[in-house]
Amino acid sequence: MAVLRGFLWLLGFLLLDDALVTLAGLPVSAGVAGMLLLSAWLMLRGTVSADIAAAAQPLIGVLAMLIMPGVVGIFFMLDALAGQWTAILAALVLGTLLSVFTTLWLMRRLMGGGDHE
Amino acid sequence: MSELIDHLMATPLGAIALTLAAYVAGQHLFRRLGAPGWCPPILVAALLLAGVLALAGIDYADYREGAGWLMLLLGPATVALGLPLYQQMPHIRALWRPLLACLPLSALLAALYAVGIAWLLGAPPEILASLAPKSVTAPIAIGITEQIGGSVSLMMGGLLITGVAAIGFVTLLARWMGIRDERILGFALGINGHALGTVRAFEISPTAGAFASLGMSLTGILTALLLPLAWRLPGLVG
Repeated sequence: MAVLRGFLWLLGFLLLDDALVTLAGLPVSAGVAGMLLLSAWLMLRGTVSADIAAAAQPLIGVLAMLIMPGVVGIFFMLDALAGQWTAILAALVLGTLLSVFTTLWLMRRLMGGGDHE
Repeated sequence: MSELIDHLMATPLGAIALTLAAYVAGQHLFRRLGAPGWCPPILVAALLLAGVLALAGIDYADYREGAGWLMLLLGPATVALGLPLYQQMPHIRALWRPLLACLPLSALLAALYAVGIAWLLGAPPEILASLAPKSVTAPIAIGITEQIGGSVSLMMGGLLITGVAAIGFVTLLARWMGIRDERILGFALGINGHALGTVRAFEISPTAGAFASLGMSLTGILTALLLPLAWRLPGLVG
């Protein structure tokens, strides 16, 4: 039951934020707004209910699986994008290499500046 | 045989079972291969799944229609990330200044590097628009791609490649640069590698996972707000 109650909480947050995001016309997905709201709500309460933890932890564990149906589509587009693959792969792989480097370098510099725990 | 397959794929259950099976088999195979850092289990699972679909002659569109039910859970799963975010709040608060300073630039460059490289190599506007949200978590990226006129299928594929590349490069570059701080690793995984990077960060530690959740959500929000605006700037798409 704890899992069900927790899942209902998560759905509640999701639907509430879906309503808010839609009414306010924000370009943010309800899931991300829900994540921030859940975390703000937990901060207000100061404690985590066992119900939410019971539903949240297994869901987070399978996050990667949940996008699988979408991402495998790439293997069925090989012909449709023939001739573009060099540009696409270079942009994704090289772009990611550069942006990972930038983030790591920036964080190391910024954290060296005194904000240690 | 093909009639039986059609019958089993007529309800979403067939596609869902196939996805779960590929995921479980992918995890198993990944461990059997000695858990290589350069090839995350999700890539093994995606390759297996694509292989099975191709061999069984299942149309991707049919599969996607059924497995779409599974992707509905992406919503509550994203909300669930609010929990580790809350639990690690003291760590995040201690670092709010560098986090806030690093994020806008990192999120912007994640999109800009990819679009710039593809543009230099002569990719058409539709492909540029599909690559721009490559570091954004799937539910947000779908909205952005539709808004700026990209292909959602290509974008989703880009998410896989980006996620896998981000996991590999964070591991390699952190070792090369001598960075061991789990908070930095997590943040870099979340900003650059969206949900796939975040899952990897949780394997490192709960702290890394929380920083990844934070990086992922803020990158998503920032990109969703700014990318559609930037796209309207003349000259960018030429």
